Parts: sequence; C-alpha cells; structure tokens
Amino acid sequence: MSYFEFQNAVKLLCGELALERIPSELQHLNAKRPLVLSDAVLAKIGTMAQVTSAMEVEGVTPAACFTDIPVDSSLAVVNKIAAFYREQDCDSIVAIGGGSVIDTAKGVRLVLSQDTDDIFSISGLENVTNGRHIPFVVVPTTAGTGSECTGVAVIKNDENGVKMEFLSPFVEPDVAVIDPRMTEGLPPKATASTGMDALCHAVEACTCLQANPLSTAYGTAAIRLIAQNLETATVNGKNREARFSMALASTMAGIAFSNSMVGAVHAIGHALGGVCGVPHAVAMTILLPHVMRYNLSHSAGDYAALLPWLVGMDTAMATPADKRAEAAIEAIEALGTKLNAACGLPLTLSAAGVSKDSFAKVAEFAVNDGALIVNPRAATVEQVVEILNAAF
Amino acid sequence: MQRMKRFFQKLTVGIVLRVVHAALVELKSQDTRVAEEFARMPEGLSYSIYTGHNGPVLHVIWQGGKLRRVRSLQKAGCTLHIKSMPLSFRLFTGQMGLAQAYAAHAFTMAGEVADVMRLARLVNIVESYLFPNIINRRIMTDIPAPQLCFLRTYARIAWGFLTFKYRISA
Repeated sequence: MSYFEFQNAVKLLCGELALERIPSELQHLNAKRPLVLSDAVLAKIGTMAQVTSAMEVEGVTPAACFTDIPVDSSLAVVNKIAAFYREQDCDSIVAIGGGSVIDTAKGVRLVLSQDTDDIFSISGLENVTNGRHIPFVVVPTTAGTGSECTGVAVIKNDENGVKMEFLSPFVEPDVAVIDPRMTEGLPPKATASTGMDALCHAVEACTCLQANPLSTAYGTAAIRLIAQNLETATVNGKNREARFSMALASTMAGIAFSNSMVGAVHAIGHALGGVCGVPHAVAMTILLPHVMRYNLSHSAGDYAALLPWLVGMDTAMATPADKRAEAAIEAIEALGTKLNAACGLPLTLSAAGVSKDSFAKVAEFAVNDGALIVNPRAATVEQVVEILNAAF
Repeated sequence: MQRMKRFFQKLTVGIVLRVVHAALVELKSQDTRVAEEFARMPEGLSYSIYTGHNGPVLHVIWQGGKLRRVRSLQKAGCTLHIKSMPLSFRLFTGQMGLAQAYAAHAFTMAGEVADVMRLARLVNIVESYLFPNIINRRIMTDIPAPQLCFLRTYARIAWGFLTFKYRISA
C-alpha cells in the first residue's frame, strides 16, 4: 500500500481510579450539564450509578439520564435521544455501556454537531465537516467493541433491518475511560464473546486491504494480550490484571480497525445481526475461523505473520513456514473451543439458533456491507452462503 | 507543464466516465451479473461522481429500466467525490481499483454504503471488460470472468457513441 491515513485523537484514561477523573476532564472540555447515556441493565445492576457517583463526588451532576437504549440500537433511538438532549438543555454526553450504547451516543453526537434532526440525512463515508463540538466522554463496560476509540458508528435502520455504518473522524469521543472495575461484573459468556470480538477486530485490521504499519502494530499487540488473557478473564472474572489487559486489548484493536477497517467477518456478522438477531460478538466468534479459511488463498502470508502473537514466538518458529497460516487459524479455533468448554460460548450458527432458511437474505445483506470492500478476497452472494454453510 | 498535465487528466477522466456509463448500458443486456444488479436496483436510485476540484462529473439515474445520464441532480441518492484529479486519473485509467481507492481514502461518499457496494461490483465487472487482465490483476483481488468478448463490448460502445445512444437525457 502506497498511502494510508491514521487518526486517533481520543484521550485515554486507563487504570485504577480512572472513573474519578471524569469530572476533571469534563471541566477541561467546558462541560457542565452532561447527558448520561446507558442501558436498562447497567442502570439496574448499578454500573451506571458507579460512574455517576464518581462524578457527583467531584461536583458534576448529570443534567439528565437516558437508559432506554436497546441491544441493537436504531436510527430512531438516536434521533429521539438528540431531541431529548435539546429538551434538557444538555451541553455534553457521557456514554456508559457496550458497543450499542457507545455507537448510539456517537450517532447522537453526530446529529447534534451537524445541527440536524435525522441521522439518516447525513449517512455516508467521511462526508461531514467538523460541525459544532459536543464534549463526549465514553466509559466502556465490555472489553470487545473498541468503540471508544473508533471513527465509526454502526446503527440499525429499523425500516429494512440493515446495520448502517457512519464513518467519520468526528464521531470519535474526546475521552475514553478504561477502568477495570467496569468489566469485573461481566458474565463469563459475555466476557468470552466480546473478547473474541476484539480478536476479530485485530485479525481483520491486520489482514484487510487497508492494513497499514501503524494499525498492524496496534492489532498485533492486541492479539498478544487477548491470547494471553482472554481465557483467564473468562474463567476468573475477578482477576483485575486479566480484565485490564483485555480492556486495553479491546481499545488497541479498536484503534487498529478504525484505521484500517475490518472485512468479511464483519460484513457477514452485521447481516446476521440484522436478519437473525445474532449478537455481534457471537457472530464474530463463529465466523472468524471460517472466513479466515475462505481468505487463506489470498492472505496466507498475513495470517502466518499473526502466529507468533497468537501462540508465542518459540512455538511459531517451531512451526514450518508453510504451515503457519493454517496454524494461526487452528490457534483461534482452539481458543474458541476452550471458551466453549468454560462458558458454553456457541461456536456454530446452529448453536446460535440461526436457520439455514435465512442464509440467502443474510448473504444479500452481507455483500452490500461496506466492510466487504476491503476484505482480501472478494465474495459473491453464493460464496457468502458457502461460508455460512461451513459455519452452520 | 502542470496545467497541460491537469488538462490531459481532466480530458481522460471525462472520456472514461462516459465510457463507463456506456459500458454499463451495454452490459446490462449482455452480462447476466450486470443485469441482476440492475434488476435489484431500487427505481430512481441516482449516482453523482465528482472528480477533484472542478473536474468532470457524471450524473446517472436508474429509471424505467434505463440508466440515464443527466445534466445535473439536485441531490443524488449516492454522491461520490474523488478527492483530487490525480487520484481520479489513477482510478479511471486502471492504476487503482475501487477497493484500493476506498482503502486509500481517495473519495468521500454521501448516501448509503450499500449503494457504493452495488456500484463497486458493477465497476469491477465493467473494468474486467475494458482493461486487459494484466491491469485487472493489479487492481482487483478477484477478476470477474467475462461472459462475452471484450472486442464485442468495445464495438457496441463505439456504435452507441456514433448513434448518440448515451447522450444526456432531458
């Protein structure tokens, strides 16, 4: 590749007592009346309160809270929250949650900064200008999406079930808070699937057509952390070291794919989510090895280069050079099998409740997904159906 | 020298844009994959392709079973803006594929990503006819197999231009 772009303007607050630094950051951003966005589960189990308490102790009280964000948020939800923000006269956004909450918040920020009422009217790729600055702080509560550091928001269009991508550097938050306390309560299955989502981001970021030296540096470092910590974080959720490593890995994988895109795993995964309601992270877990096998003829060298990060340098060097790409896929499959044994993470589409009847529609949606354009191997509807059959 | 170069690039890009439109019109009835893409295309979907600053522009609209070239569009369903004339020149002369252009942030887009993907598939098929395989191998990860001889495609396009088949619709 003779040209690439790289951007990451997000300030990261990482480690112990990171939450308690949010008020100071809001002050620096001239924010006094934040709208707190989260979901009903996080409000119920007290995760949201943990953050708002840390803010209130330092004298920042949220102007309003909105917790009615569904798992697969939609354009309508984004527009509704933007209207609520204006009604409540807020001046900033604090998003607490996983990918859906953070992507919804990004959408809200885009609507507000562009002074529009409808996010659909500004859909596109790098097509909006800077607009009004809305101070924006995110607190991820899963270690997987990496959304806290990406220039993309994925939001469902309820009218046709398509997950739309809004790509713009202006959706990146100002501040992301990586506090290990936020993921400690995550159940094993969610820990495992979101961790595999982060692995998928890193693998696709390092091997897609848009991969570049900087994104690959972040991606490979993320792969190493995931290979070393995901099983521990799943089995022993209270292991703060493993939790923190996974949170960092997720962020690094997010920075990687934000600057080099993803590929067919995401294209098909978005379609599976839109058509069959398969949770994003579960779809990524199931599809990753199958798409890697599909891409093998075009990406063997890139996959082989990932092996040392997955299994360690000694094992990788002991593997014959022509077997390393396949060994990398097998290492990912082995990790999936361990996680399946540990928490019942589904590894096939049938186990995830997908019916073969939906494959044609999933494939049609997948070939229209933007992530496919940078996949190392092109894919037609028929080829996507083959991948789905292999993953069934 | 610089102005001459830019003039040459603009001229070339303008011609290739017209040829791409013509090829799409011809292949719609000759290539089953192009026919299928158009069959799935929503009625009224329009594309505007801008090339660099003050460069040639192509506006097309899919209406009544025809891909019509029009003088202007108030707001196309999908607007691509290639960021500079040298990039446009590379894209339309087989030095860079659409996927590579995307990867290199060569254009911005307003509209739905699905419509760009549709266009990307169509352009890949068109390029597989217009460019020799030595070029296609460099700009595509997989080359769509041609369903008819490229000479026949060129002949049909030439005849179309001679008979004003691709002129701007009212």
